[in-house]
Amino acid sequence: MSSDTVMTRLFEKLNDLKAIFMYSEKLIPVIQSLIDFMRDTIPLLENINQSITDSASKIPKVTHQINNVTNATELATNEILDLIDKVLSETNNSEAMLERLLELEKEKAELIREVALESNSPKAVELLQKYDEKYDNSARIEVLLGVIKNIKEYANSITISLQVQDITAQQLAAVNHLIDSVQKKLGSLINDLEKTQLKSGEELTIPFEDSMTFDPNARYQNGGNSSQKVVDDVMAKKVNASTQEEIDKLFHKL
Amino acid sequence: MNLKFLVVDDSVTMRRIVINSLANLNYLDYVEASDGKDALSKLEADPEINFVITDWNMPEMSGLELVKAIRSNEKFSELPVLMVTTRGLKNDIIEALQAKVNNYILKPFTPQVLREKIEQILSTTITEK
Repeated sequence: MSSDTVMTRLFEKLNDLKAIFMYSEKLIPVIQSLIDFMRDTIPLLENINQSITDSASKIPKVTHQINNVTNATELATNEILDLIDKVLSETNNSEAMLERLLELEKEKAELIREVALESNSPKAVELLQKYDEKYDNSARIEVLLGVIKNIKEYANSITISLQVQDITAQQLAAVNHLIDSVQKKLGSLINDLEKTQLKSGEELTIPFEDSMTFDPNARYQNGGNSSQKVVDDVMAKKVNASTQEEIDKLFHKL
Repeated sequence: MNLKFLVVDDSVTMRRIVINSLANLNYLDYVEASDGKDALSKLEADPEINFVITDWNMPEMSGLELVKAIRSNEKFSELPVLMVTTRGLKNDIIEALQAKVNNYILKPFTPQVLREKIEQILSTTITEK
């Protein structure tokens, strides 16, 4: 190869190198701005990381508080049930006593009537009439028995309404389950950000019973019979639904 | 017919409410269990139990698993079982039917509905016998 050719190729290469340098010169500010951006972003990311860590560390406390709410409502509900039991027991005793009193009152009235009629005295008949009008307590006792019956019905209605405790307990258990899922997601996010275990697993673990079961769709419908009607319809048609195909048909009908 | 109920629910409140409702209907003989497993041991221990009222969602053994266990056990297979639960989805009801529950009540329930279902089960059981 002649020296001219070598020099020509050398100059070509130098020109290529020059072009690269010129391009790099243009690229450097872009890279610089990218580095600046990264520098600005790192504190932000650290902030986000810290926030996620803080939130994650609070979640077990929230779950614990929800569990406390469930326990407190269960305790309170049982105290109300205890009181209702006492009310019902006392109203039952009172009802029995009033029923006996009513019987005695009727017997007494009958006795007085017999005495008045036996005596054949107009004065006695007059006194009997006065007794019937003023001193016979049967009607009053019957009113009291009606009041007691109402109290018993109200107490039973309160008992029925207290089923809301079980239903809300299931709803809260569903919320806890949801929080547990969020906690797990946050944990993996923190690990991705830091590439290390942020805190020991135990510290961030929610005190969640493995055996906890609940109906996430549990709801309280006061006095609503529509849902029970759907159940009754399905149950009523079971006689004709002996195969899966028939059950499926039944299911699509409803 | 003398009825002795086994009331199965993990919630103490619900057990009390069911028992109170039974008392209102003059059914005073009952045994309690807190989950399916406990219910099975109570059934084994007390041959006088002749009616089961059970919740669905329970730890250890669910109400549905309990029904299946009862139906597959020769000793108890004919026991009337009433499911009392919050699970109102049609799929759930169908599943309970397939497990052979005798009837199904949604919470919250009234003593009237409880009486109606118990009577329905008893009349069907007597007719079938």
